Amino acid sequence: MTGFTHLHVASAYSGHYGVTRPELLAEAARAQGATALAVTDRDGLYGAVKHIGACLQLGISPIVGVELLVVDEHTSISNRINHTERARVAILAHGSASSSRNQVQPGFGWSKLCAIVSAAQSIRGGFKSSSSKRENPVAIRASELGKLLEDGGCTVLLGSDSDLGRAVADGDRTLAEAALLSWKNLLPKPGVLAVEAVSHLTEPGSDRSTLHARRMLQLADELKVPVVLTNAVRYLSPDDALTADVLDSARFLEPLGMFQPQPNAQAWLKPPIEMQRLALEITDDHSRALKLIETTEKLADRCRLEPTRDCDWGKPKTPEKASLGIEGNPFEVLWKKAQAGIDWRYGHIEGEALARVQHRLSQELITINKLGFATYFLTVADVAQMIRDMRIRIAARGSGAGSLVNYLLGISGVDPIEHDLLFERFLSTERTSLPDIDIDVESARRHDIYRAIFKRYGSNRVTLLSMQSTYRGRGAMRDSGLALGLDDEQIDEIAKNMWRFSARSFRGALETKPELARFAEEVERDRRMNLLVDITERLDRLPRHISMHPCGVILGDSNLLNLTPVEPSGMGLPMSQFDKDDMDPMGFLKLDVLGVRMQSSMAYAVAEIERVHGKSLDLDRIPKDDEATFEAIRTTNTLGIFQIESPGQRELTGKHQPTEFNDLTIQISLFRPGPMKGNMIAPYLDGRQGFATPHYIHPDLKPILQETFGVVIFHEHVLRILNVMTGCTLAKADELRRNLEKPRVAPLVQKFFREKAAERGYSKLVINEVWSILEGFGSFGFCKAHGAAFALPTYQSAWLKTHYPTEFLAGLFTHDPGMYPRRLLLAEARRLGVRILPIDVNKSTREYRVEKVAPLTSNPNEPKIAIRMALNEIQGVSEAELDRIVNEQPFETITDFYHRAKPSRRTLERLALIGALDEVAKQTGEHTRGDIMARVRQLNAIKNRPIADLGQPMLDFSAFNAIALEQMPTGNAEMTEIERVEHELAFTHMDITQHQLEMYRPMLDEMGVVFSDELVGLRNKSDVLVAGVRVATQTPPMRSGKRVVFISLDDGHGCSDSTFFDEAQQRCSHILFNTRLLVIGGKTRRTGIKGVSIMAENAWDIRDLWRQWVAKQGTQPQLAETG
Amino acid sequence: MRVDETVFVSTNKGGEPVGFNWRGIAYLVKARPMRWFARREWWVEASRVQRGVGASLVEVEMWRLQAGRASGTLDSNEAAQFELTRSEDDNVWRLVRVWR
Repeated sequence: MTGFTHLHVASAYSGHYGVTRPELLAEAARAQGATALAVTDRDGLYGAVKHIGACLQLGISPIVGVELLVVDEHTSISNRINHTERARVAILAHGSASSSRNQVQPGFGWSKLCAIVSAAQSIRGGFKSSSSKRENPVAIRASELGKLLEDGGCTVLLGSDSDLGRAVADGDRTLAEAALLSWKNLLPKPGVLAVEAVSHLTEPGSDRSTLHARRMLQLADELKVPVVLTNAVRYLSPDDALTADVLDSARFLEPLGMFQPQPNAQAWLKPPIEMQRLALEITDDHSRALKLIETTEKLADRCRLEPTRDCDWGKPKTPEKASLGIEGNPFEVLWKKAQAGIDWRYGHIEGEALARVQHRLSQELITINKLGFATYFLTVADVAQMIRDMRIRIAARGSGAGSLVNYLLGISGVDPIEHDLLFERFLSTERTSLPDIDIDVESARRHDIYRAIFKRYGSNRVTLLSMQSTYRGRGAMRDSGLALGLDDEQIDEIAKNMWRFSARSFRGALETKPELARFAEEVERDRRMNLLVDITERLDRLPRHISMHPCGVILGDSNLLNLTPVEPSGMGLPMSQFDKDDMDPMGFLKLDVLGVRMQSSMAYAVAEIERVHGKSLDLDRIPKDDEATFEAIRTTNTLGIFQIESPGQRELTGKHQPTEFNDLTIQISLFRPGPMKGNMIAPYLDGRQGFATPHYIHPDLKPILQETFGVVIFHEHVLRILNVMTGCTLAKADELRRNLEKPRVAPLVQKFFREKAAERGYSKLVINEVWSILEGFGSFGFCKAHGAAFALPTYQSAWLKTHYPTEFLAGLFTHDPGMYPRRLLLAEARRLGVRILPIDVNKSTREYRVEKVAPLTSNPNEPKIAIRMALNEIQGVSEAELDRIVNEQPFETITDFYHRAKPSRRTLERLALIGALDEVAKQTGEHTRGDIMARVRQLNAIKNRPIADLGQPMLDFSAFNAIALEQMPTGNAEMTEIERVEHELAFTHMDITQHQLEMYRPMLDEMGVVFSDELVGLRNKSDVLVAGVRVATQTPPMRSGKRVVFISLDDGHGCSDSTFFDEAQQRCSHILFNTRLLVIGGKTRRTGIKGVSIMAENAWDIRDLWRQWVAKQGTQPQLAETG
Repeated sequence: MRVDETVFVSTNKGGEPVGFNWRGIAYLVKARPMRWFARREWWVEASRVQRGVGASLVEVEMWRLQAGRASGTLDSNEAAQFELTRSEDDNVWRLVRVWR
C-alpha cells in the first residue's frame, strides 16, 4: 500500500464550498505520490477542465465527478409536483483509461455525467436568483438518475450526506437498511453503486465520526455493496478550514455563530499514510482495512479518464457542413466566397492593385487550408452574414481585423491592406489553436442575435459561455463583514475607500493608503476589524459565482451536449458550465459577440436622421478624411466619442492633435497600460511635433517605423523588424514575438536574432540597439489591427457628433454609452447648443426622440431640431405606467391624465415636480408649478383611485369637453429655479433646468473659481481654483509604481482634469473618492497645444464651503441639501 | 463533571495516552482510547486569522478514555470516563470532563 486516490474532492469552483483551486489540488496529490485525483464539484463540472489540464501536465490521471442532490418526486393531491430530498451524493464518470476489463466505450462515462448534470440543472428552470435557488435547488430526480445509469457509465457514492448516512447517524438501523436497499433497486447494474466511508474524526457517534463510518461499512458489507474510503475533501490543508467557515457563512447568508458550522478542520487532502490510518481506525481490522483501500483504488482505476478519447480534448470542433448550408469541399467554398468578396469590397479594381489583393488572399488561404480551418471561417462568416441580414451593425475587434479573408467575408470592416495590417499576428501555421474572432454588435440587439444563432444552428450545437466571477476587494470585504456579523453600513463605509488594490495585500494597503488611515486605526483597536482584514485577504480571488459570459457563444457539432454540461442562464438560453479558459483545451469554437452600446447609439442616430430628415446614411461608407471631424476632435471636446472620451484620452488628444485616420489608430493603441508602462507616448509625441528628430537606427527600419516616428508601438512593428533583419517569415516572427514575453525562452530568441541579423550584415551596434528595444518591448506593445478596428467606430462617432450632434446625442442618451453619467451629456448638449426639451407626458416616450421645433431666436443658424427627454428617466415609475402613458398620449388636462394614465400617487407627484405636467396644464391657460402641485394634491387625496386594469368600464372623456371642465387651482407660487433643479436631480439624477453648480455661483464667483474652458487661456503654473461635479476618478498604472489619482470635474463649460500626487492625496484623503461636488485648488500644467490640467494641491467639499459662506453672509441658505 | 486542569499524560509510540496523573492520583487507560476533534469558535476568540495561522483556531484534539486508578486496590469496574484535550502547539494535556 503506497498511494491513495482521493475520489471525493470539491475544488474552489464549488461556489462558496470548496476552497482550493484544482491546479493546487492536483499538484499536492501528485506530491503525495498519487497517480490519479478526482474533482467532484457541487452542482456542476465547473472546475473539471482546469483539473484535467492540471493532471495532464503533471502526468496523473484525471477523474471527474459531481456532487449532486438527489430528490424523490411526489405528486400531491392538488396535482402539484413536489420534491423531497433523498441524498447528496458524489457521482463519478467511468473512463476509458482504465486498465480493468470493465473499461467503457470512450466518452461513455463523460457524456453520462454531462447528461446527469444538465438534467439536474434543468429542474430549476430559468430562475437564477439566490432565493429561488434555495427553494429550487439543483437536483436530479432519483427516477431520472436510475434511468440514465441503467446501462452504467458512472458510479454513485452514498456518503454521510445521503439518506443512508443520515439514518445510520440517527442510529435507525431499519431505515438505513431500507434506504440502501432502495438504492440497490434504483441502480441495479454492478459497479454503479458504492458506499462511501468518511471519518472526519468528529465526536464519537456523531455524523462523520469513525463510528459512523464503521456502521455504514458494516451495513454495506451485509448488503453486499462495495465500500470506498474518501475524505470528502473541501480544502488542501487544515489551515484552509478557516476560509471554509467564511464560505459557509456566505452560502448560508448568515453570520458565523448563527448556523451549525463544519464540525472541525479534518476535510483536507490527507496524505496516504493518514488515509490508511483512517481505514484502520474505521475497520479496526487489518485485512478489512486493506480491502477498503483496494476497493477504493479499483473504483479510481475504473474512473481514470483518457481526455483525448473521453472528452474529445483539444480537437477543434465546428458545426457540420450541412448545418452551415454548404456542400462539397469547405476550402473550395471559402475560396469562392473570398473571391466574390473582392468585387464587393473593392469594386472593379485591376492591375497592380488587384494583384496585391490576390497575392495577400492566396497567402492567407494557404495558411487556412494548412490548418484545416476553412469550416471555422465559414462558420464565423455565416454568423456575420446572419447578423447583417438582421440589419444590425457589426464590427470586428482584435487581431482578426488584420485578416483580408475576414474583410472579404464581411466579418471585419477594416481593410487590412489600406491600414497595413498583418495576418500573421492573427493566424499562423506555427500555432494550431482556433484563433479568436471577436465581433462587436449593437448592445440593444445582442440577445436577439443569440436567439437567432440558437435557431439557426440548433440548440444541440450551441450554448452560451459562462464566466466565473471571483472575489475582489469590495466583494471579499462585504462577505467577510457578513461572516463576522458586522453592520452593513460600517462595511460599506470601508468598502467605499477600497480603491484599486488587491485584497490579497489588504494589510499592506492599510499602512500606505491615506484613505484607509481611519480604518487602520480601527483595526488596531477593534478585534473584529482585525479579523476582517485577514479573512478578506483569504477570500480574495476565490471563485464567487457563475454567470453568463457577457459575449461568448460556443458553436459545436451535434455532439456538443455530450461534451459539456449546460445550465439555464439568466436570459433563459442554455449556458455551458465551462468558462473561456476552458475553450482551447476542450477544442470548442468560441465566438465573442460583444454588445457595444456605441454601436446601438450610432444605429439609433442613423435611424433618427432617416426619420427626421428622410436621409439614408451608410456609416460604413462615409469618407474617412473629413477635415471638420478631425477639427472637432482636436478641440478635445471628445465626450461621447468612442474610445477617446476618458480624461486621459482627452489630455492625449490635446497633445496629439490627430489629423488622419491612422492617427486615431495610433492614439487608441498608445493609451493602453502596455505602451504607457513602456514609455512610448512621450518619444512619439516629440517626434511628431518636431521636438526630436526621429531615430530609425538603420535605414531598413525607416519604412516600418515612419508612421510612429521611430517608436516601436505595434506588434506588427516587431514582426516586420524581425522579418527584415533576420529574414524569417512573418509567421515565425510572431512566434518569436510571443516568446519574447516568456523569460524561459527569450534567450533563445535573442540568440536567433543576433545570429541571423549578423549573417545579413547588420553591424553589432545596430543589432545591440534593436535588441534592447525588442527586449524592453516585451508585453508592452499593442496589436495595430485591434487599434484600427477600434478606430473605425471612433471615427464614425466623431463624424456623427460633428455633423449631426442632436441626433447623435439622442442616440447616446437613449443607449447610454460611455464612462460618464447622463447628466454630463446634458452639459455637453448645452455646450454644443443642442436644445433639450424637458420631459413632457404628452411628448416623451421611452427614447430620446429628435423633435422638430420652432426657433427661439432670429439666428438663421439655430438648429430647428431638439432632443425630447425620455420618460423612463424618472426614478420609480413602473413599466406598466410607462406603457399606459405612451399608449394613451396625448392628454388634454391633468385630470384626463389622471384618469387614463392611472399613475400611482408617487408617480403623479414626481411628474408634477419635475415639470412633466406643465405642458398639459398649459392647455387650460397659464398655471404656476405651484398651481399644478395643488391640483395633483387634490387628485391624490381622492380615495378611490382609477384602477389600472384594461377591462374596467371608463368614462368616455371625448364625449364632453375636458378642457372646459378642468378646475385648476390658482394663486400658488411659482417654483424657483433652484427648487426645480433639486427635484430634477432627486428624481432623474440630471440637472435639466440649469447646471447644478449655478446655485453656488455667487460663492464661486466671490472665490474666483474659473470655468474649465478658461483654463486654456491661463499661463502655465498659475494658481487656480476650479469647481464642479465629479464625473470620473481614475488611478491608472504609473511607470513609477506610485499611485496617482485623476479627478475630472464638470462645471457646465466642459471638464477640468486634476492630478493628485502623494502629498495632495494625504491632504485631502477624506474627500478623494467620495465627495461629489468639489472645489479643487492647484497650479495649471500645460500638457499640449490644447491641453491644460491642474496639479492639485487641495480640495474641498462645496457644500462645506457653502455652509461657511452662507453663515458668513448672515443669511439663511435658500436651498436644502442636495446630492 | 467539568474540570479544566493540566494533567501529565504518558503515551505509547502511536501517541495514544496510556495513563495520566490527576490530583496526585495515577490513572491507567483501560480500553482503546478514542481521539476526535472538536470545534472552536475562532470568530469569538481569535484576534488574527491570517493565512497559515493553522487549524488550531478551528479545532481542538480531544481524547475520550476509560481509565481507573493505577494502585490496584479497586477493581477495574471502578473505571470512569475522562475527556482530555491536547494542544498541538505545546503538547500540553488538559483534563476537561469526567463521567463517573
